[in-house]
Amino acid sequence: MTATTPQPAAASSAARAESPRRVVVVGFGPVAARFVDELRPAAAAGAVELTVVGEEEHAAYNRVLVADLGVGRTSLAAMSLADADELAADGVRVITGRRVARIDRSRRRVLLSDATALPYDRVVLATGARAVVPNLTGLNPDPFHPVLPEGVTAMRDVSDAARLAEAVRGRRHVVVLGGGVLGLEAALAASEEGATVTVVHHGDRPLGRSIDRIGGGSLSAALRRQGVRVAGNARSTGIETGPDGAFRALLLEDGSAIDGDLLLLACGARPRRELAEGGGLAVDAGIIVDHSLRALHTEHVFAIGDCAQVRCADPVCAECTADGRGGAPSGLIAPGWRQADWLAAQFRHDLLGEPRPAPLAPEKPGVILLKARGVNLALAGNVAVEPWDMDPLEDSCSPAPLRVAVWTDPEHGAYVKMATRGGVLEGFVALGMPRAAAELTLLFESGGELPADRSVILRLDGPEAALGGVSGASAGPDAILCRCAGVTHGQVADSVAGGCSTVQEVSKATRAGTGCGGCRDEVRELIERHFASVAA
Amino acid sequence: MSTATHCPYCALQCAMSLAPASAGAGGAAVPGGALPAPVGTTPAPLDVDGRDFPTNRGGLCRKGWTSAELLRHPDRVTEPLLRGEDGHFRPVSWEQALERVAHEVRAAQASHGADAVGVFGGGGLTNEKAYLLGKFARLALRTSRIDYNGRFCMSSAAAAGNRAFGIDRGLPFPVEDLDTADTILLLGSNVAETMPPFVAHLAGAREAGGLVVVDPRRSTTAALTADGAGIHLAPAPHTDLILLLGLAHVVINDGLLDHDYVAERTEGLESLIRSVAPWWPERVQAATGVPAVLVRETAARLARSARTGSCYILTGRGIEQHADGTDTVTAAINLALLLGLPGSERGGYGTLTGQGNGQGGREHGQKSDQLPGYRKITDPAARDHVARVWGVPAESIPGPGLPAVELLASLGKDGGVRCLFVHGANVVVSAPDVSAVREGLRALDFLVVCDFFMSETAREADLVLPVLQWAEEEGTMTNLEGRVLRRRRAIEPPAGSRSELWIMNRLAELLEAPSDFPDDPRAVFEELRAASAGGLADYSGVTYERLDAGEALHWPCPEGSDGTPRLFADRFAHPDGRARLVAVRASSPLPGAGPEAGAFQLATGRLLEHYQSGAQTRRVEALSAAQPEVRLSLHPAPAARLGITDGAWVRVRRQPATAAAGGARQGTQPEPVVLARAELTADIRPDTVFLPFHFPGLAAANQVTEQRTDPISGMPEFKTPRVFVEPAVVDPGIDEPTLDRLLPPGTLVPAPREERP
Repeated sequence: MTATTPQPAAASSAARAESPRRVVVVGFGPVAARFVDELRPAAAAGAVELTVVGEEEHAAYNRVLVADLGVGRTSLAAMSLADADELAADGVRVITGRRVARIDRSRRRVLLSDATALPYDRVVLATGARAVVPNLTGLNPDPFHPVLPEGVTAMRDVSDAARLAEAVRGRRHVVVLGGGVLGLEAALAASEEGATVTVVHHGDRPLGRSIDRIGGGSLSAALRRQGVRVAGNARSTGIETGPDGAFRALLLEDGSAIDGDLLLLACGARPRRELAEGGGLAVDAGIIVDHSLRALHTEHVFAIGDCAQVRCADPVCAECTADGRGGAPSGLIAPGWRQADWLAAQFRHDLLGEPRPAPLAPEKPGVILLKARGVNLALAGNVAVEPWDMDPLEDSCSPAPLRVAVWTDPEHGAYVKMATRGGVLEGFVALGMPRAAAELTLLFESGGELPADRSVILRLDGPEAALGGVSGASAGPDAILCRCAGVTHGQVADSVAGGCSTVQEVSKATRAGTGCGGCRDEVRELIERHFASVAA
Repeated sequence: MSTATHCPYCALQCAMSLAPASAGAGGAAVPGGALPAPVGTTPAPLDVDGRDFPTNRGGLCRKGWTSAELLRHPDRVTEPLLRGEDGHFRPVSWEQALERVAHEVRAAQASHGADAVGVFGGGGLTNEKAYLLGKFARLALRTSRIDYNGRFCMSSAAAAGNRAFGIDRGLPFPVEDLDTADTILLLGSNVAETMPPFVAHLAGAREAGGLVVVDPRRSTTAALTADGAGIHLAPAPHTDLILLLGLAHVVINDGLLDHDYVAERTEGLESLIRSVAPWWPERVQAATGVPAVLVRETAARLARSARTGSCYILTGRGIEQHADGTDTVTAAINLALLLGLPGSERGGYGTLTGQGNGQGGREHGQKSDQLPGYRKITDPAARDHVARVWGVPAESIPGPGLPAVELLASLGKDGGVRCLFVHGANVVVSAPDVSAVREGLRALDFLVVCDFFMSETAREADLVLPVLQWAEEEGTMTNLEGRVLRRRRAIEPPAGSRSELWIMNRLAELLEAPSDFPDDPRAVFEELRAASAGGLADYSGVTYERLDAGEALHWPCPEGSDGTPRLFADRFAHPDGRARLVAVRASSPLPGAGPEAGAFQLATGRLLEHYQSGAQTRRVEALSAAQPEVRLSLHPAPAARLGITDGAWVRVRRQPATAAAGGARQGTQPEPVVLARAELTADIRPDTVFLPFHFPGLAAANQVTEQRTDPISGMPEFKTPRVFVEPAVVDPGIDEPTLDRLLPPGTLVPAPREERP
């Protein structure tokens, strides 16, 4: 790196508008990469010294596709989200394969595990989340130093993917613990690519609280149809290992065991907040930040993505409670990317004088789209409500009651539920209806109003409307037969009656069929019908 | 005795023959001669017939069949018309007219400088006229202020093509190559309406089940995918770019990439990979409304064809006429490059040029930043070459001017254009935000319009100069394949009409211009050959003789060559011969907050029966009878919510009614609105409405489009992200045919009508 020696921060720490010359980003996952990318213009312009520190050897890659990598559907190169050399060319300092040991806020330095000190004017924490290791006998419960036995893996990074890859290649038996999105996606992918897969989840349905009862039942059926075994209402208590110390079976509360070669832990993720905690920052589920993504009670520390919890100091702030999770990270990538974009725009404003970005809109509950080939599922929002349920708000102040429309067709694996208030979706489930799912996703995201006739949505997956719809047999003489030339059925019929016996002759006489040619078959039919009736 | 020429309208340039009108209605030699005689009152002086040619194979559409009806149309302007101080037009002699123009040019330039005179050209002009217009602007008018309506048409595709391939030719292959395709991805193009004979070239792909049409409407073209002929993808408007990024994502992640091709023939793969990595199919679904499964299926289909059959990707104005149009076309080109298509024998990428000479018209100097031969006006070597051909010092050629939207925005303003020439364009119908354009035209000191009808723009003129129609002139056109075609004279023009070449010749003399301004098309073409020699669009090997002998010549065609039907076989036009994969990004797809109730996305487009601003086709009775008025396509579901029935009048506006009322109270400008009849159809997304843009006045879709442009190409945003639709109460006393000529009430008083003895 050729940048000049960092200048000591001259301005007083109280001056908010000071130019943040030195920005250190902790973490180099998808959200950090997006932030760095957005700040690159400032780095290239020499307005900022930007450093990014990642624990993995690899530059940022698309974590969403880790399961796909694990089943051999994609390559690490194709998942790349950042290139260290390219960033370096713009003056960004990229440090990979090293841990951040702690943040020394009093001296404004980030200390790496090898004792390197990185002074900062602003530090952005994008440490992400780590897989939850459930409390099972045989697994080390220490969340910070998980040493998993052979044959047990999470599904968050490239090394996890490598473990899954081995099992899939060997067409082995994979036990997926957890019926959440990640678990189902990994299970379906591994099963489709040749592994034997059992999903173990507690509760009576996969996706637990996110989905309603009928939807969950339909989903279980869909999973089974895809060849995935589903063990519901199962409480696991421990794992059994073989003499080599490797995973052999998952033990359940009822005394039974599920044998397998690989146990894939899909029990959720927890924000990695220990650095912030060590630095004395306020944490709850994640690192608590205000609406400008600044860690509470700090000047120079920011957090974005899966490690950040947006909950401002105002205890009655409506925005902070709107999502029903108290601002805890959703685990979805889109909100993190929006935060990265916004914070980078804010920094560019401070550094380059670009326009100040509009306040970051509060996140709405995200849409869950199951990333799978054999099962098409989208769902979002409040789907627990059933068609005849009493809306708790109906009697009080809400002018528009919650309304629910449902379509279910278990035989063909189709299920749609639309919960609306004033025609606007508050929640939906769409299973086995891809076009309806896509449309509902869009409507949920945009807040657009649904057609009053809800079946319009269902019909998107029906057979396509026939073109024109009017066949020669039933069309009146004034109906247009050839749009390109504006010729009616009557004119064509007259020409045939007048002696035209081939399509070419009719075309010559009437111009029908001389444009796109799409009506020539119909002309031929008319001719044949005419001569058939003459012959008869 | 018939004349072999081509249709006056679109870029397919269907071959036709013109013969003096026979006594009867034509077609008498054929049994059952039931030729639908033009219902009109205007007898056509020529009989039109389709002529066999690779593009149209003897076919024509309704517009072409009826084109000769305009030759002797009673509306035709046949003598120069000057607006008097009383606001009325009166005929004047050509001498008076041209003296007046020269006087106004000198006056404007004396008080406001050379750039106070501007020229607005058209993509329908012959190569000769387009070339001479650029030369006329720069040498006779000495202005940099020239641009043309192709900016509204091809500019995004052109910019993207130049960026990726180093050259911009609409189809870099003959159109018949499409016949063998088993997959064609057609994005934002409604060819079944805009160039019907083209549809025959989709037959092979349809038979193979491989026609993939991307359009938010189930357009006539999208409906061609029915019955197993292909797939219709209907992304929400403004999400085409995301869909294309998603297709590229699947190609890369599912190992569908043509590795050898990409390694040998392209640059930029790594950053491209990173740019599409965030767009996995499910995320694409969330942003576009296109099911993830169809994104995967489409990508797989394209890749399969690219490997084992033949696969083409074609774009049209639907994805190009956006403020991110260049990036969207770039994403389509990237997809084609990842699949190894451009320059291969297994397919390619192309854009479907719209206007008759939309290709040639963008190559020879009508563009604000261009000199003949598709040369850059800022390139010293290019300037030297052209200056040599013109016999002038290079420094006398002005620098780059302003792209169309900026040029129009400068009309009548300080430092802007005060005196404007319009050739082959009808900007008060076709430009974005037409109310503002009309205001600009009215703020000019002098407006000269060359046209053969009193188009809506001509009505705003101070002087209208009557020019020739297609069948009355000689010249060349370059069709959507980059093939140069001969346009031939079949009939004498009216006595008072003149060719634009003649007008420029006379004016150049009056303005004491350097260099020559021949009025003979062949002489102009000879000069164009020399001026284009060595440029990207090299015409030096094309001659009238070769064309008349029936040779198929596609540019680049340097002297002594037989032209280039297929580009990129060995190399792309960048110095290193490689194509560029340019990483592009979609602007924030999910705004988070929902739109206001009642807001729609507006798409604008075309009808089979009309061409461009409709100045010609609205005058053909059969066409006008079939599509007499503007209709707003609206889904029945939102229509029911808004209380709008089929056939009811509706108002389309940029703001909801309440906001508009507030604005009107304080503001000075009345809000532009479109008045249209509603046409309820389930073939459009419920969040989208569609207006054809062929109609004027209150019926002009461009009343509600915006002046926002693409930062790279200058293409306006013609697909307005947000409009409001409401039922309109129409005074039953107003007779409906005149409704569309009404202007927004308040300020925009209709221009006085022409009154002639």
